[in-house]
Amino acid sequence: MKRIWKHPEEPQNAKRYWRSVAELDRREDFLKNLGREFPEGDTLTEDERENSRREFLKIMGASVGMMGLASCRRPLTNILPYTQHVEWMVPGKSLLYATTMPRSGGATPLVVTTHEGRPTHVTGNPLHPLGGGIDTFAQASVLDLYDPERSQKPLGAGKELSWAKANDLIAAAVAEAKKSSGASLGVVAGATTSPTYLRLLGELKAAYPQVKLFQYEAVGGEGQTAANKEVLGAGVKPFLKLGSAMRILSLDCDFLGVDPVAGEPISAFTKHRAKEAKTADMNRLYVLENRYTLTGGMADHRKPIAASLIPVAAALIASELGDASAKALADTAPAGLKEWIAPAVRDLIDNKGKAVVLAGSRHGAEVHALVASINNALGAFGSTIELLQSTQAPEMGGFAELQAAVSGGQIKTLVSLTPSSLYYDAPDAEAFSKLVAEKGVKLIHVGTQKNRTARHAALHIPAAHYLESWGDACAADGTYSIVQPMIAPLYDGASKIEVLLALLGRKKLGPAEAAAAPAAAGAAPAEDAAYTAVRDTFASVAGGLDEKKWNFTLRDGFLKGSAFAKASAAPNVAAVAAIVAKAKPAAAPTDDSLEVVLTVDSSVYDGRYINNAWLQEAPDPVTKLTWDNAAWIGSVTFRRLGLKEGQHVKITVGGAEIEIPAIEAPGHVSNSITLPLGYGQKGVGVVGGGRGVNAYVLRKQPGTFVLSGAKVEVLPTIAELAITQDQNTMEGRAVYREGTLDTFNKDVTFAQKTGMDGHIPENISFYKGQVGVKSKENPDGFDYETKHQWGMVIDLSKCIGCTACIVACQSENNIPVVGKDQVRKGRVMQWIRMDRYFAVPKWGKNEVAQESTYAVDNPTPEQLENAEMVHQPLACQQCEAAPCETVCPVNATVHTDDGLNAMAYNRCIGTRYCANNCPYTARRFNWFDYNKRNPLIDTKVLGMTVGNLYAGPLGEKKEDESLRLQRNPNVTVRMRGVIEKCTYCVQRIESAKILQKQVQRDSKNFRVPTDTVKTACQQSCPADAIVFGDLADKKSAVVKAKASPRDYQLLKYIGTRPRTSYLARLRNPNKNMPGAENIAVWSNNQF
Amino acid sequence: MGNFFPRWSNWLPLKLAIAVVFIAFGVSVGVAYYFTPKYTRVGYEPTQPVPFSHKIHAGQLGLDCRYCHSFVENSSHSNVPTNQTCFNCHGPGKGNIRSNSPKLEMVVKANETGASIPWVKVHKAPDYVYFNHSAHLNRGISCVSCHGKINEMEVVRHDQPQSMGWCLDCHRNPEKNLRPLEFVTNLNYKAGDLTRADFYKGLLDKKIPAGEIATAIAGKGTKADNLDQLLALAEKTYGKQVTQTEVGTQIKKHWQIQPPENCTACHR
Repeated sequence: MKRIWKHPEEPQNAKRYWRSVAELDRREDFLKNLGREFPEGDTLTEDERENSRREFLKIMGASVGMMGLASCRRPLTNILPYTQHVEWMVPGKSLLYATTMPRSGGATPLVVTTHEGRPTHVTGNPLHPLGGGIDTFAQASVLDLYDPERSQKPLGAGKELSWAKANDLIAAAVAEAKKSSGASLGVVAGATTSPTYLRLLGELKAAYPQVKLFQYEAVGGEGQTAANKEVLGAGVKPFLKLGSAMRILSLDCDFLGVDPVAGEPISAFTKHRAKEAKTADMNRLYVLENRYTLTGGMADHRKPIAASLIPVAAALIASELGDASAKALADTAPAGLKEWIAPAVRDLIDNKGKAVVLAGSRHGAEVHALVASINNALGAFGSTIELLQSTQAPEMGGFAELQAAVSGGQIKTLVSLTPSSLYYDAPDAEAFSKLVAEKGVKLIHVGTQKNRTARHAALHIPAAHYLESWGDACAADGTYSIVQPMIAPLYDGASKIEVLLALLGRKKLGPAEAAAAPAAAGAAPAEDAAYTAVRDTFASVAGGLDEKKWNFTLRDGFLKGSAFAKASAAPNVAAVAAIVAKAKPAAAPTDDSLEVVLTVDSSVYDGRYINNAWLQEAPDPVTKLTWDNAAWIGSVTFRRLGLKEGQHVKITVGGAEIEIPAIEAPGHVSNSITLPLGYGQKGVGVVGGGRGVNAYVLRKQPGTFVLSGAKVEVLPTIAELAITQDQNTMEGRAVYREGTLDTFNKDVTFAQKTGMDGHIPENISFYKGQVGVKSKENPDGFDYETKHQWGMVIDLSKCIGCTACIVACQSENNIPVVGKDQVRKGRVMQWIRMDRYFAVPKWGKNEVAQESTYAVDNPTPEQLENAEMVHQPLACQQCEAAPCETVCPVNATVHTDDGLNAMAYNRCIGTRYCANNCPYTARRFNWFDYNKRNPLIDTKVLGMTVGNLYAGPLGEKKEDESLRLQRNPNVTVRMRGVIEKCTYCVQRIESAKILQKQVQRDSKNFRVPTDTVKTACQQSCPADAIVFGDLADKKSAVVKAKASPRDYQLLKYIGTRPRTSYLARLRNPNKNMPGAENIAVWSNNQF
Repeated sequence: MGNFFPRWSNWLPLKLAIAVVFIAFGVSVGVAYYFTPKYTRVGYEPTQPVPFSHKIHAGQLGLDCRYCHSFVENSSHSNVPTNQTCFNCHGPGKGNIRSNSPKLEMVVKANETGASIPWVKVHKAPDYVYFNHSAHLNRGISCVSCHGKINEMEVVRHDQPQSMGWCLDCHRNPEKNLRPLEFVTNLNYKAGDLTRADFYKGLLDKKIPAGEIATAIAGKGTKADNLDQLLALAEKTYGKQVTQTEVGTQIKKHWQIQPPENCTACHR
């Protein structure tokens, strides 16, 4: 008899996790695609079908005719060996180099994988004191190197110039500067930690005493810098010791996401989130913010408040701690805030010396001054915050000084070295660019992109990528690292150090110089000025140019023991009062006067990564929006305005207005609008050009990111946004498990008893397959004696949902980008899906009647404002009894004897049965030849413009030469018509096994050393949430992780026996907080 | 009305049917033979840009394969040597052997210009096949098993079909090709040339219990305590000469050779 299987009914009175408001409301557009792996409209349309049929016949006809000829011709291929041997190079093996990604906040230590001289993948440097996982931006930076639309030639007012001409223009500017002893020269630097860069700026100042130096970053923390200088002292850098902080309160500081705080890596924070035994200690995170951030998602207690009220909240905390200067500001607090803050502060006081308060870097000086006073009262300085004395940087002005200097008319040449784009992201950029033109200032812009500034500058110099230039940088604790080139500049770009050297007259830019420097391995030739400059700096940092020390530094990626010394002075709390007194208390936003919060975007940051396709396609961790930005509006306001998802709104604030699509954001405070910055750039290339809306136009003052008094007008048009939250659904099945510390302490194995898990019969699987451990009773099981058995554990307590794993996987496994149009059709190819669920705490047990339907028991908009947010990364679960395998008609997906669900791409014929049968929707189908046919461009066919993918044989079928260089040679580049999915980085597993064979030779020790194979996602994870290894090796970390009482399998009751399992999330609520009883109410109330 | 069709046409359908059967059989046999790598690949012998003779270098002179293909034990690829390797013997100021020979013209030129010599690929695995040389060489599979007697070839010829079925034949029964590691690059090696006493002594020296070796020779229940007993046992089982099966079986067992038959072993 046919067995009909039903998933167990979701208990109607339990807490439910949902991904979108459409799911919650059971809207028709959601229901239509529910449960379809390839939603309606996702498959080919009638027209497409007809076209593809014709195409098929055409090609078949041709190929039958050619068959006779083709089969007797063997394509002639050549082997081209090196003529001179390259040191360390073994053809077919990758080489790893340590280097550093210089960033405004400090260095990100990296290890770069290179194949025959091509950097293909970056990971964090595990040796570095602050090493470990890295964020999405660093992970995706390798793609920027190969961006075919990078700026490649110098431009003069938008027209291409020769390098000789560019050098002449620079020489002319230098000559002029010499005459005026620098008064005619202005240099705008970005925030930097590079000692060489700072030293050369100093030398510039020495050579031309009148030169004006400015520092500009589009989203720099001016308020923070000012407050720190006053309170902590000049050059003093706070260093956050996340691992020592057991109580953290964040005031709109997304320190786990895009607003990193200088300090210990995120893994130091997540270390205290996981708990395997009752005795272990767990940290607690309080968050106040206007929108959901990754940090808010990790919070134990979170309260959405308007960003305008953050100063008030800071003052309230300070006055709770007895700071009298904050009293006046604190008194303006709205109702309800104090009730929330008081118990939180009590908790912080109870944990004096282990507590810390953080503030978002873009808030004003008063917030940061108050936070310094709070941290001082909490005894944080010296315990959770270390004060370090950094080396003095030359005095630099801000943007206001820059504006003044330009309008003063003395500056004739302005050199922009900042990674921000002055004509695009500066406060009132339009007026600034006009001012520069009016005053006849020649702008020399150095950058990697042909952005607005590049196109309008008098001279644009293409910048070198950090993987192709010499440089240096300091990590957050001051540890000195060298940036070493992996490859000669692809387009002759010049690094910023080289431009400074050119200004000092010590170097000419461009290819002539590059040709004089043949790529001798090991040491660059002495005449490379940038190399010499870095070595000079190294000599002063390391105390003498010791060749051995230099080589060790290059090998390890950092100079041991070069961290900043501790600052001697104590914080000057007396200065706080003066700063706070200057602050104007902001009123809470109202229905008629909304606030606009400008934030950095998770894909493009401040706009600098606009042309990176991996980042564009990696869904925003909170909204799941790809390829665009949108106004995030809280449910209350969204519904009050009567908006539809993606509907355009016109936002007017301070005389400027923008039109932007709006999306409903659960967990967002009402009357507040969050606008991610960085979009709406034109002419930067097909990836980023013209996408999204430029929100910078609303900003008129430097350093302001919270704008009050905004008006919103609803427009009738609806934008087509590519949001992935309703794609590849788990159909609302209970896949996420979490509990409070109390639940855990009551029963540590609570996660294993949730739902049906406590009472499923043995061997219920209806998918036959090899399962379990091979033994006498189970002769068909997996061999744990003579084989490896791979498995993975993902700790939901640690996972912050940052999507670095998605990009790492994309980089390692040659996963193509499909473009916005294809994402809309649900054809995104990323093997890892970061599922983001919301849950409403109040809406649960005993709140609704048993018989109620979804439609009736919908939570109110007010409840949605307080929704909880959780993340669950999901890739192929490597089921032992895999449903996909039983339905494959051609055995293209089969099991290996080390427990992998293998995928033989060359065997797949594309029936997609496997994807339809996968309960985890973890399989992806190549609808088109995404690798060969650029999905982002349009093609003209018979006078009509169609998407390149749809142009059939008439479309452009050529891979960009430069993008091809990024491919991992150890992974097949898949073609159209095959299914693909995660295979636990099988190429890494196999090469580890082979390496072991090389070592063991004629002995029988086959097992690879414990925990030496790491998957790409695991390596990239900044939270250490992913553990992978050999289940048959008792010493391995994965065996220990699987032994955790929190371990559970997704959809265990269907008996697929996945090799990937999850550790349930724990939250650590404070009983005295309002609403604590509702937090993480356990997803099953039946237990 | 007359008969439209002549009488012989009555048998036409049957004749056609029989013909179709024969044709179909012929086509299948043809495809099975001519369309397989065994036919299409074996014997491929392209002319190389430099008339390098493996017969002279590896055969007459007895150069070890690894002198030129130096990374074959470390890497997936067996590297084609750089000009520097050639010039170790032929280079001016080095060995200077026949450095004026017109055959070396291209090598000398490549050294000057830095442009690679475009060697023609003989053995080509498809893009989706990830063959690894080091995994085979370090585990007792010789060059000769896949490439034939290169030391006797003037111009390198495709010797084995190198099809998936051919790979799997060996992965299923590796005994036929396993040999002690010191003979991996000895293309003339035959199991019969081994001295039985040395071979078994070698195994015993690696601390492999004699009992286990005996079991591998003559099945379960066989016992032996020392070398002499083993030798007697082997002679009884395999005859006077050392055989390939004998060597292969011992190596497979004691080195724990488990050639993977998974898809992921070669396809990633």
